Amino acid sequence: MNIGAIAAWKVGSASGLPAGLGRLWSAISRRQFVRTAGTAVASFTLGSTLWKPGQAEAKGTFAPVPIPSGTPALGGAYHVFGPAAFDPIDAEPATITNMNGFSGLAYISGMVTQTNTKTGEQQRFPFVNSDMRFMKGHFRGADRRVHEATFALV
Amino acid sequence: MYLPGPGNQIHDLNPTVFPPVGLFWTLEIASDDSHEEEGNDQQTGEWHDGAGVEVDLEEGSALMKASNVPIFDYGDINNALFGGGPTPVPGRVSFKVAWGGAGQRVKVRNTDPTYGGFEGEFVRNTAQMEWTARVGDYNFESDPLLTSSSSFAEIGRERNGSYFE
Repeated sequence: MNIGAIAAWKVGSASGLPAGLGRLWSAISRRQFVRTAGTAVASFTLGSTLWKPGQAEAKGTFAPVPIPSGTPALGGAYHVFGPAAFDPIDAEPATITNMNGFSGLAYISGMVTQTNTKTGEQQRFPFVNSDMRFMKGHFRGADRRVHEATFALV
Repeated sequence: MYLPGPGNQIHDLNPTVFPPVGLFWTLEIASDDSHEEEGNDQQTGEWHDGAGVEVDLEEGSALMKASNVPIFDYGDINNALFGGGPTPVPGRVSFKVAWGGAGQRVKVRNTDPTYGGFEGEFVRNTAQMEWTARVGDYNFESDPLLTSSSSFAEIGRERNGSYFE
């Protein structure tokens, strides 16, 4: 997630809402969202047995529950805040609710080398305000049971 | 990632499928509680990736490591959030993020109906990261961790939802 891009949106939009958000919600229903997401997960072979979004929702077990609200910068549609970026510094840093544990958040910038594996061509690019977070501890899942796990927002 | 300048965004790596209307770009990562460093186990010869999160709030430090996390490259955040762009390309990312440094310690109890519903103790300090990724025909390797910098960072212990009274 690139926090800088969302911050730029907020600054550049008179309403505080990105123009694409209205198009998204009008073009596709929430039910279709779930179907689309489920299809994509099923077609993507994952290399571990860890819980993945979409996967556990189908099982009805273990899935953590998203925080109930979301940043006004994205119209409240997405269950995430950007503390000290486009939301108040004391906004919720976690994306999981019913949680008792550790959380961490950072917006990190640096340089990366991209290598084309076919041609060997290398290019240098900046990564800017990459949003990296963790949540570690106990949480009450969608199954209402308490679990212990570690999550990352990447 | 951006074209130099920074110009237009050219890569946006996120772990979940479009659209991110549920749990936002969040997934479980392996937790290696052995606290062993990355490398081959002296006795078994098995590879330890040292994955997971370690937090020392007294010290104000934390370390998050993960390997081969499945992601999609959406190209830019507009495509990741709203679609309409190129089909995301699946890939894998590995990363190490370290929090530390002298920081401000704050207690937060936020009851705001939009931004709140949690309380906790936080250390606002700095963070650095190094990472690698493989997406399609491209490999990515960041510069070493110590060359990166953060515009904002915090770690803490918090309670929200049903744990927040």
